[in-house]
Amino acid sequence: MPKNITIFTTNTCAYCVMVKKWLNAKGFSYEEVNLDQDPSRQSEALELSGALTVPVTVVTKADDSRDVIVGYNLSQLAPAVS
Amino acid sequence: MAEREIHDVVIVGAGPAALSAAIYTTREDIDTVIYEKGVIGGLAAVTDWVDNYPGFAQGVAGMELAESLQKQAERFGTDIRLGEVLSIHDEGELKRLETTDGEVYARTILITTGSDYKKLGIPGESEYYARGVHYCATCDGAFYRDKRVVVVGGGNSAVQEAMFLTKFVSHIDLLVRSDKFRASEILQEELKKHTDKITVHFNTTTDEIIGENGKVTKVVGTDKKTNKKVEFPTDGVFVFIGLKPNTQFLKDSDVLLDEIGMVITNAYLETNVKGVFAAGDVRSGATMQIASATGEGATAALMIRKYLEPHHM
Ligand SMILES: Cc1cc2nc3c(=O)[nH]c(=O)nc-3n(C[C@H](O)[C@H](O)[C@H](O)COP(=O)(O)OP(=O)(O)OC[C@H]3O[C@@H](n4cnc5c(N)ncnc54)[C@H](O)[C@@H]3O)c2cc1C
Repeated sequence: MPKNITIFTTNTCAYCVMVKKWLNAKGFSYEEVNLDQDPSRQSEALELSGALTVPVTVVTKADDSRDVIVGYNLSQLAPAVS
Repeated sequence: MAEREIHDVVIVGAGPAALSAAIYTTREDIDTVIYEKGVIGGLAAVTDWVDNYPGFAQGVAGMELAESLQKQAERFGTDIRLGEVLSIHDEGELKRLETTDGEVYARTILITTGSDYKKLGIPGESEYYARGVHYCATCDGAFYRDKRVVVVGGGNSAVQEAMFLTKFVSHIDLLVRSDKFRASEILQEELKKHTDKITVHFNTTTDEIIGENGKVTKVVGTDKKTNKKVEFPTDGVFVFIGLKPNTQFLKDSDVLLDEIGMVITNAYLETNVKGVFAAGDVRSGATMQIASATGEGATAALMIRKYLEPHHM
């Protein structure tokens, strides 16, 4: 089980909705950072992902190691939360 | 031997065509599974605003329409699975589908895989993918608040997405390869309201995306009239140069495609393979609208019901 999950999203991003739907279906809780509501955290998302895109999902594991997944990518998301 | 998983219909893709078909099939107790590799709601879900879908007097947000279609399909028992169909195999009465979650069998298949954005195929495009080169304005537009962007394309998507981006950006250079828009008259009229932010450059090819220190700094094109190179200083590039059908997963099947890779059907929306149907944007001759996709989805569902009657019901 991951320690925590943070998703960077925007209001209009349908792929962000998909990440949330997938995590909900698997029973994971997460913190959402909406960059439209909180634009000041945009640089944080960019620093973590190196990309100018959302969703960015940050999975912090029990040993505090982190996986950063850019986009709606189940082949990376599934192993990251397992 | 493990039990085979068999369904009445497996729908490939969960765009408007699929969800509409599923509303009809599941409502009639036809056991229906949908596989979706991307966004439930398809291209409609990534469209900011839909003004021409009947029944919404003031228009509707694409994401809201998608959500509503999904809920309606699930209300009647549609099983939507987040996974990709990798290939389909005609084994007569039953069709076998290879998916990222394993193998399933279906009495009928409905192909509603729509289409995806084309790439330019120019230097810098893949290098700066998601770091300055983008294909989804509703996803990535917010990163360009008060910045300059280049939008490439002259069709409906390019014009619509450029207008959406004006919510964020300070200026847009819209590069159109030909001497006029392919976009509808209505969208062209709308575009005129945005001359303060959007500069249109006709007869301009997009040749190269150049950056420095990992950031896009300019787009180099050619003015086809003078044959001279032109440069557009920019922070990002959004590419909307048309769509290509999502039919790669059919390459080893017997399903016939037209010369651009769209699925050929008869008037009953059935392909050349018995029991395999297609609807929506992926179908050869499709009119590429949400209303037509949902209409075709409903038609396909009724044809599937008819096909299943003598066979199994
Ligand atoms: C920017 C833009 C704006 C638009 N605006 C409008 C508008 O205002 N009004 C309007 O009527 N239309 C509009 N359209 C067109 C409209 O979005 C499409 O006509 C409609 O979405 C087509 O529906 P569909 O179900 O056929 O396919 P799609 O919506 O393309 O859905 C296909 C789905 O299949 C999935 N898929 C593909 N391959 C596989 C596979 N192998 N396994 C599993 N899943 C798969 C895809 O991920 C996708 O979700 C717009 C399109 C764009 C791009």
